[in-house]
Amino acid sequence: MLGYGVGLRRQHYSHVLETCPKMDWFEVISENFMVAGGRPLEVLEGVRANYPIAMHGVSMSIGSTDPLRPSYLRQLRDLARRFEPAWISDHLCWTGVGGRNLHDLLPLPYTEEAIRHVVARIRQVQDALGRPILIENVSSYMAFAASTMTEWEFISAIAAEADCGILLDINNIFVSAFNHRFDAHQYIDAVPAERVVQYHLAGHSDHGTHLLDTHDHPVCDEVWALYERAARRFGAVSALVEWDDHIPEFAELAQTADRARTIFATAARTPKHDSLKNRDADSTEKTGKPALSADHRA
Amino acid sequence: MPTRLKKLESLLYRLITAPSGVAEGIAAERDLGPGGGLDAIVLGDDRLSAEARVDIYADMYFYRLLDALKEDFPATLAVLGDSDNFHNLVTGYLLEYPPTEPSISCCGRYLAVYLRDHPAREDAPFIADLARLERAIVEVFLGPDAAALEADSLHALAPADWPAIKLRLQPSAQILALQWRVSELLRAVEEQRPWKPAEQGAVKVLVWRRNARVFYRDLEEAEAAALEAVSRGAAFAKICEIVAADDHTQDPVAAMNRMLARWLSDGLLMGG
Repeated sequence: MLGYGVGLRRQHYSHVLETCPKMDWFEVISENFMVAGGRPLEVLEGVRANYPIAMHGVSMSIGSTDPLRPSYLRQLRDLARRFEPAWISDHLCWTGVGGRNLHDLLPLPYTEEAIRHVVARIRQVQDALGRPILIENVSSYMAFAASTMTEWEFISAIAAEADCGILLDINNIFVSAFNHRFDAHQYIDAVPAERVVQYHLAGHSDHGTHLLDTHDHPVCDEVWALYERAARRFGAVSALVEWDDHIPEFAELAQTADRARTIFATAARTPKHDSLKNRDADSTEKTGKPALSADHRA
Repeated sequence: MPTRLKKLESLLYRLITAPSGVAEGIAAERDLGPGGGLDAIVLGDDRLSAEARVDIYADMYFYRLLDALKEDFPATLAVLGDSDNFHNLVTGYLLEYPPTEPSISCCGRYLAVYLRDHPAREDAPFIADLARLERAIVEVFLGPDAAALEADSLHALAPADWPAIKLRLQPSAQILALQWRVSELLRAVEEQRPWKPAEQGAVKVLVWRRNARVFYRDLEEAEAAALEAVSRGAAFAKICEIVAADDHTQDPVAAMNRMLARWLSDGLLMGG
């Protein structure tokens, strides 16, 4: 359990390096640092000297039908060896096909074929990296007629079969629940507690017909409520605030991370739902979170 | 091979990147046909049709890359104008050079090449060279690290050793051979001053990094020739010969000393 952190963004590099603000941990976008040298790596050296980090990727394209790129995995492994993140995560999605990259997080059909495909690839990645990874649920704007199960059944099955962790993005659940008219509470209640290692919290924008995962607004009340529900169910899980556009002063990010801390503290004192009690008790005992973290650091 | 998944991903890729939009992309798909065949694949509802849902991804694809290219090519953007011109440039560029690399910082790798034969050159004939310099700045910013050569380590050399020593440029440094003098234009844009069109004239531009900051400057002929010799691995004696042979050099020894002192203070040479 790393605690409550924020995504490290360029706008705050100097502030973080020069003032060393109070913060439990930072998450960094892996691809921003998979470079030969220069300012990004210099910044990461400075940040890592004072804080734990986790590496979060956007281009592994675990759901693509293109072969995984050996060069990408090598770079990711080398970066991890150098900076020793608590864990490495990426998205349950595809980002390109046919050797082309869309630089976007596209959803998969929730099918047995996709499960087999993604599980095999996660195993390949975990073998290459020598550690388990986390997969994150994405916000989506389209769903497929071919799907034969819910998103939470899909991600749960993959996590179980690939033996990987889950980075549960609470905002993404809220966005996709609106866009596809499913029950966000049902999602939170169904995800296997022992797999959830990290949360993402972020803002989105409302386009009337759909919500867009823009990371350019404060976390909304409904997402905080979902987070509270997750906190009750999953126990102590590291939480991370993402903000990628219209990025505010660092202090506001820190306040948002503190709010996550406070909500968890309150939720931990609140009696749990009876129906969840047994699983909740289990989740704090054997969530796999500390174990997974330890494995990652090993 | 998950054939159904591959077919789905390939179809969505084609629709998202269709040159004239998703609707025309759908029309061009023989398997889908005009009768709303996409609805059999992507679920639509009363709020958003299947096509509108794919359209969201098409918009995000284009505008994410447009924003990335605006950030990496601020002077090219300033010259073309933040309007249809740059938008249309990017539309055409992405069709010819769609992104293939995991990092979005690679998306502008071929913009200067694309601009070589682009109609934008009619009004701004220097535009390809300008884009080349801007791209070099991105590459140098992310290029490999190496410790800088310290003046003290040269001072310690015995005089007899000087002719044979081989200086080395920082591995991230680049020397560009351009046909237009675009450095001043770029500097004006960076400093938010009014810019003037670049003048025609062959010039070598040095782009390098010191303490994580990228710098660039036009090189005089003698210095360009000397640095190119350094990058080819020439011995110091050969570099001195090159400087001495330059018609514009009055005092070769003083010129070489000035150059070497500047290279050292700029952190341009690699130590170790």
